Amino acid sequence: MHLIEQIDSWSQSHPGRIAHISGDTTLTYQQLTSQSNKLAQHLLTAFPNDHSPIALLGHKQTEMLAGFLGCIKAGHPYIPLDSSLPTQRVEAIVRTADATLLTVDQLKEIIANTDVPDNFKIHAPKIGNPWYIIFTSGSTGIPKGVTITRRNLENFLEWILDEQDFKEAGEVFLNQAPFSFDLSVMDLYSSLATGGTLFSVSKDEIAEPKKLYKSLGSSGVTVWVSTPSFARLCLMDINFSEKMMPHLRKFWFCGETLAPEIASTLLERFPNAEVWNTYGPTEAAVATTSILITKEIIAKYRPLPVGRPKPGTLVEVHAEDGQPTPSGERGEIIIAGPNVSPGYVNQMEATSKAFFILDDQRAYHTGDWGHVQDDLIFFDGRMDFQIKLNGYRIEIGDIESNLHTVSNVQDAVVILAMKNERADYLAAFVILKSRPEQTDFEIMREMKKQLGERLPDYMMPRKFVFLSEFPTTPNGKVDRAKLAETLQ
Amino acid sequence: MSVTETVLKHLEKFSGTDQVRKDLNIDLFGEKLLDSLASIELVLALSEDFGLDLAPGEIEREEWATPQKIIDYFEARVKQG
Repeated sequence: MHLIEQIDSWSQSHPGRIAHISGDTTLTYQQLTSQSNKLAQHLLTAFPNDHSPIALLGHKQTEMLAGFLGCIKAGHPYIPLDSSLPTQRVEAIVRTADATLLTVDQLKEIIANTDVPDNFKIHAPKIGNPWYIIFTSGSTGIPKGVTITRRNLENFLEWILDEQDFKEAGEVFLNQAPFSFDLSVMDLYSSLATGGTLFSVSKDEIAEPKKLYKSLGSSGVTVWVSTPSFARLCLMDINFSEKMMPHLRKFWFCGETLAPEIASTLLERFPNAEVWNTYGPTEAAVATTSILITKEIIAKYRPLPVGRPKPGTLVEVHAEDGQPTPSGERGEIIIAGPNVSPGYVNQMEATSKAFFILDDQRAYHTGDWGHVQDDLIFFDGRMDFQIKLNGYRIEIGDIESNLHTVSNVQDAVVILAMKNERADYLAAFVILKSRPEQTDFEIMREMKKQLGERLPDYMMPRKFVFLSEFPTTPNGKVDRAKLAETLQ
Repeated sequence: MSVTETVLKHLEKFSGTDQVRKDLNIDLFGEKLLDSLASIELVLALSEDFGLDLAPGEIEREEWATPQKIIDYFEARVKQG
């Protein structure tokens, strides 16, 4: 069955079941089908014979789900954009993808004012056509759009639904990540495909712990999907335990390294829940490897393994010569299989650099260091300047390129500060063209203002250090290690 | 170390600027000097230093909006014991 038909089938079998909870608003499966049909009808009328991407700008509103499915039903891939993104970044994405932008307010208006004729027919994508495009940070300062096809998404879902054995029309999935971040695909489509309820926490709730814990406590969540960073944040309150969330039976992590301390604390506080670690880049449809983390695994491995490849997908660690490394030896993690993206939208050069063919399958150079031990894959960090901070994938070059556009900046270097071996915050070291009659704080505030017009909050350096020159290595490059030392 | 100095020492570290010392009424969230993770870490660090048993989920964001409010909050809590 086509995924969209599978999702719509819940509105027949369980029309009143809640598909989405966002704050005080709920959306049933019947409403989801009706609203998505209305949006599809509008798009089919407004853009006949057109399959160009539609960028949907909003946050966790229920109309966003109707928007995603409406685009799919009209044969358009969608680009989820979070309303926290600065306008210039949204414009850059829309331009790069050659997309049409619809805000959540426009979605509401379309849903309110569109009638669906009796002969309405879904024009859903064929197996190889794009389903969504997710934009990630690009090292040159321009975001990269990863195209995920229906084949990629259905292949991912087939695996996880088989492995995770979710109860049909019985689960409540936590949605922590914004829809613009591909971690959200894990909870969104696991939920929609199984007739589950998606429980979204908003950025306002996350910003205010008291509201967040209250919301989690009354959520009824059974499957927790988040970055490990978010779980770490929640664990900081001793009351975050099985008592607060008695229905929770599974933690399902992706997006960054799962620290053993987080996994072991979760197993202590939620003795009846499973903890799963997964790994995979956006370019290979959310996740490609997985493992159930037990006390035995935690006792045996540090760092924790990211697991075994999903069936039908090849995950290997390659040496520089392109050959698999011997067990225990470090190399680049390579992924090949039906879950690998066709590439970056309208970015041929970046696509040909990162994607290739391996054993007749589409393959992707992850740029991740890894090794294999005991038939398990381990992630050993990045080969370049890409980092993960609070689960967000960030190219340091993206921030530096944008810093160079800020007035009065002569040169800028961004460093990830570490604390207890984990990513803590970003620091910008800046050489000014001329020193204005302002305090460091006033200069920083102006820079943050200008940078905030181009970069989302999660890419904003917390600390700004103004220098007259950068320390250099013997070969004349900026000595980033020395700058990092000053943050200790 | 006084309550004020302890709070400011941590706040300076978490915000990355000494402006929190110079302007005790600065809007920490409005100026984006603290995010949710940093504010929870700050709660825990200060709880430990003052020997208090505070849960981040108990604290209203408004009570922590400026350095002065955080100082006042901890001065009151320390007095309570």
